[in-house]
Amino acid sequence: MPQPFSQEQVARHKQANIMLSRVAGSLYWMSRYLERAENVARLVDVNLQILLDFGQVSDETLKEHWLPILRSTDDEDLFFQLYENADSESVTEFLTFRPENPNSLFSCISSARENARQVRDQISSEMWEVLNEAYHFIKSADATRVWHDGASAFYDQIKRYSHLFQGITVSTFSRSEGFEFIQFGKYLERADKTTRLLDMKYHILLPKVTDVGGAVDAAQWHAVLRSASAVEAYRRFYVADILFAKVIEFLIFQDSFPRSLVFCLQQMDHFAHLIADVPEDEYRSPGERRFGKFLNNLHFTTVQDIIQQGLHEFLMEVQDEIGAFGSHLYNTFMFAPPVDLQAEIRFHQQQEQQQQAC
Amino acid sequence: MIPPLSPSESPIQPAGQRLRVRHLTRFLYESVVHDSYNDVRLCPVSDPLQRSESFHLVLRPPVPVHTHHDFFLNRVDHFEVHEPHDRLEVESVAVVETRPDPRGLPPKGLTLASLEAPEVRENYFDFVVESRFVPQNVAIWREAMDVITGDAGDLWGDAVRLGRHVHDTFAYDPDWTHVHTDAADALKDRRGVCQDYAHVMIALCRSKGIPARYVSGYFYGGRSGEENEASHAWVEVFLPGFGWKAWDPTHAREADTRYVKLAIGRDYDDAKPVSGRFRGTSGRRIEVEVMVRLLD
Amino acid sequence: MLFDNYQPEDFFDEMFTADGSVRPHYRGVADALNPVDPGEFRNKQAAVEAAFMRGGVTFTVYSDAQGTERIFPFDCVPRVISAEEWDVVERGLIQRLTALNLFLHDIYHEQKILKDRVIPPQYLLTAKHFRREFMHFEVPKDVYVHICGSDLIRDRDGRYLVLEDNLRCPSGASYMLENRAALKRTFPELFQASGVRPVSHYPAELLKAMQHCAPKNFDGRDAPQCVLLTPGVFNSAYFEHAFLARQMGIPIVEGRDLVVRDFKVFMRTTAGLVKVDVIYRRIDDDFLDPSVFRPDSLLGVPGLVNAYRAGNVSLANSIGTGVADDKVVYYFVPRMIRYYLGEEPILPNVDTYLASEPEDCAFILDNLDKLVVKSANEAGGYGMLMGPWASRQEIADFRVQIEANPRNFIAQHPISLSRHPTWVDDRFEGRHIDLRPYILCGEKIVVTPGGLTRVALRKGSLVVNSSQGGGSKDTWVLRHGVR
Repeated sequence: MPQPFSQEQVARHKQANIMLSRVAGSLYWMSRYLERAENVARLVDVNLQILLDFGQVSDETLKEHWLPILRSTDDEDLFFQLYENADSESVTEFLTFRPENPNSLFSCISSARENARQVRDQISSEMWEVLNEAYHFIKSADATRVWHDGASAFYDQIKRYSHLFQGITVSTFSRSEGFEFIQFGKYLERADKTTRLLDMKYHILLPKVTDVGGAVDAAQWHAVLRSASAVEAYRRFYVADILFAKVIEFLIFQDSFPRSLVFCLQQMDHFAHLIADVPEDEYRSPGERRFGKFLNNLHFTTVQDIIQQGLHEFLMEVQDEIGAFGSHLYNTFMFAPPVDLQAEIRFHQQQEQQQQAC
Repeated sequence: MIPPLSPSESPIQPAGQRLRVRHLTRFLYESVVHDSYNDVRLCPVSDPLQRSESFHLVLRPPVPVHTHHDFFLNRVDHFEVHEPHDRLEVESVAVVETRPDPRGLPPKGLTLASLEAPEVRENYFDFVVESRFVPQNVAIWREAMDVITGDAGDLWGDAVRLGRHVHDTFAYDPDWTHVHTDAADALKDRRGVCQDYAHVMIALCRSKGIPARYVSGYFYGGRSGEENEASHAWVEVFLPGFGWKAWDPTHAREADTRYVKLAIGRDYDDAKPVSGRFRGTSGRRIEVEVMVRLLD
Repeated sequence: MLFDNYQPEDFFDEMFTADGSVRPHYRGVADALNPVDPGEFRNKQAAVEAAFMRGGVTFTVYSDAQGTERIFPFDCVPRVISAEEWDVVERGLIQRLTALNLFLHDIYHEQKILKDRVIPPQYLLTAKHFRREFMHFEVPKDVYVHICGSDLIRDRDGRYLVLEDNLRCPSGASYMLENRAALKRTFPELFQASGVRPVSHYPAELLKAMQHCAPKNFDGRDAPQCVLLTPGVFNSAYFEHAFLARQMGIPIVEGRDLVVRDFKVFMRTTAGLVKVDVIYRRIDDDFLDPSVFRPDSLLGVPGLVNAYRAGNVSLANSIGTGVADDKVVYYFVPRMIRYYLGEEPILPNVDTYLASEPEDCAFILDNLDKLVVKSANEAGGYGMLMGPWASRQEIADFRVQIEANPRNFIAQHPISLSRHPTWVDDRFEGRHIDLRPYILCGEKIVVTPGGLTRVALRKGSLVVNSSQGGGSKDTWVLRHGVR
């Protein structure tokens, strides 16, 4: 049963600039999908590079290397429906090109463009052009060529499209409600992806506890930082070695780093307040109060607490909270239009009295 | 044009009577549905043959009703239920006084030519052409030819012959057809209910160029107590200079004061007593209770 | 000189008289364009097209599975109409729309015109777009057609004739505005002291017309909330929908954005439900309300028709207006003008034969190779037989169709449409044109001075539709006293 009545209140006062719920939803998803694409691109790129560092590797190592990545996005089942072996080529293709994978780069960019197309006249033409170009770029590429020509350049280009889009948005999109939905979507997606990145490490770590603190371990944490484009920023704070606790602390708590969890959550909080038209520091609806409470708790949590609780458990909890807050905002302000028209047609039924039968 | 009645021919009509109708339609859904939009045509017509004394429509859940008149001047009560619900009840209670036909016997010997004047045509144009449940095809044409070879020479007499033919060659079978069976399909199997009888008679009449239309309503079968009945359907034929005259192919007789008329149309589709649409994936069950009782 | 080798040939040419001299109202255009270098003209032409593509001034071609976006080709030589000519056109269009609105009110109420036998009832009752569901509706201010686009042509003598009326969702007004803007950018010098009447107020007039027709129950506190209802981004005219909505400053909505509660229409916004008073709808009747018309349509809004009936929302155009642009009903428009207004039509129809009249039908079937046959309810140049240019097979196919369903066909003698100098292959050649002016009916009827001039770009072709190789021109109406 959908919830058709969450947006049923009649607006209290007429606004000068009306924003349709559907348009807000499209802007939000456009932004989320592009952010997701950027994260996938970085993840694949970094992991391909790590394998280069390893030199010759066995099939088993390869599998161990890629599986956690698939697990971190919950795509493992789908992957093995499509491929037998998890090796560099199959995973790269799966995460980059397969349309069957809704989280592949291709799917993300297509969806971002499709959402933009739905609100084509509400965004600047420069924003549209970037998405359109990105779409044609990935559509005309294929796995073998990317593999052959050097993957890094390819993924760099995807990241560049995302950065270009963000910059263009900031400089061409008016600071209206629409901007708030774009930003909220971006930070929500990024917060979620940062937790998944950290959690991936949990999947890697688990089988070989003995390695903790060893050279391989450091290399993997290094990879995590690189996947978040955080190596340089990290080094600025912690000049010394890459240490497990420090990396966690940095990616979760460093509120000046724009991909850290706390930074993203604060941005979400900020834009959610603007969207709801509620003063900062006030939390009115149950959904807002829950998120406020969660943020507050996080401020009094330390790295040690997290390690004690278990990183994975902590991250699961965070993902739940992000998801709940996202649904709250979505159901309150945005609107999910029916996507499958045939299903929607079946959903509309006719009723008649039985035939006249005296 | 109308032959005068001699005293011996004057019809013996049952006296006028007052009837009370209760009609309940209950939709039961397996799970909640919402956004339901419904039209009902349940209010008895007021015309020289019957007078609607009172009409009450009760909806559960209770929602406001908007009333308008459709193309055929049937009264339509429209209502919408937006909130999630798992049942919908439409109950109408009407008191009607029915009267003997003051026009007397229908005229004999009206030919097709009598239909040709433009001022006559405009009364029936819709009722000689095809409609959704009354298509025309070879089988229908041949069936009508079997009963009346050549042109219709007596509009009323020929219509009655066609109606009687339907009555005599059809088997009444409430389990054979469904609400969307059209005249062509009903004729294939020669079985069905009053709706099918009416559709086939209309199809045969139209195939002969005789204007005929669908009537939805009730029939008082002399019952008392709590016995459940059903709604009814019959046919009206247009007779120039006289007007529309009703005949019931299910019972092979003219409609009289036992018939309560709700709505007319080209076929069932125009006169549907209860129809609507809703959103939801649920399966549903329909219960209908109809009771027609004599008052006084 | 740019026009030096131009041949008007044996047609009515808008710019040149038969002896080759420039008509007076074109003198300004001729003087400004003649000295232009052909290369420069070519560059400017290309620049306009590139700008249209960039700006997304496009339509989608359906027949092509990809749904390709194309620009409507634009020709830089404006079509000019003198003030005197325009006076006649304007009066004729106002007269026509007045009669059509009276006709629509009549046939959805008393049907006097049928009872008085001015139009045989069967033509109306069998018209595809006659909406029985709409009978006895009270329409705000009795305005049925708020926006009308009638197609005018000129015959060999330069007489303006009405070819058809578009009373449902006439499109193309955005091209009228974009064409003007494009020409101003490209040839600003053309406009100097030319005395061209502006068209840019069209969106404001349109909004005014819609606000005038606020529903019966409108509380009148603020201005009525108007919206434009579009089938969505995949519709071929989506560009125009978005363009007009933006120009009017009203939201562009899809069916799924609207919801009916208590017989009132609301749109879902981020601030909650906002009541909608007037809907400029760009979807056909059939798709408007799945609870009344086509049940499988999801473009529309369930409950909309009853909200309209309850007097809580207005639709522009109203429901059921398509009955009057049925090509068979078109035949009777001059009679309507005489019947309702007691006047002679200022703009005549093209002589038309009805296949459903036995005498006409025999004539049509005997002369299929000389006539243009049209089906009653198709638009956009589809469902048409151009007898003189048709193959034997096409003629035979049409004969079968006409015999099977005569009600659905009319026939006309081919009109030798007027021609206009048009830039083709780096020079000017005569191409056939028509004119679609836009007429708005609010408090009063207003004809926008100008319109969309469509041009058949293929040599000798008489088909001007964008879907069939047509292009367009900016259309100038000159002020009085301008030479």
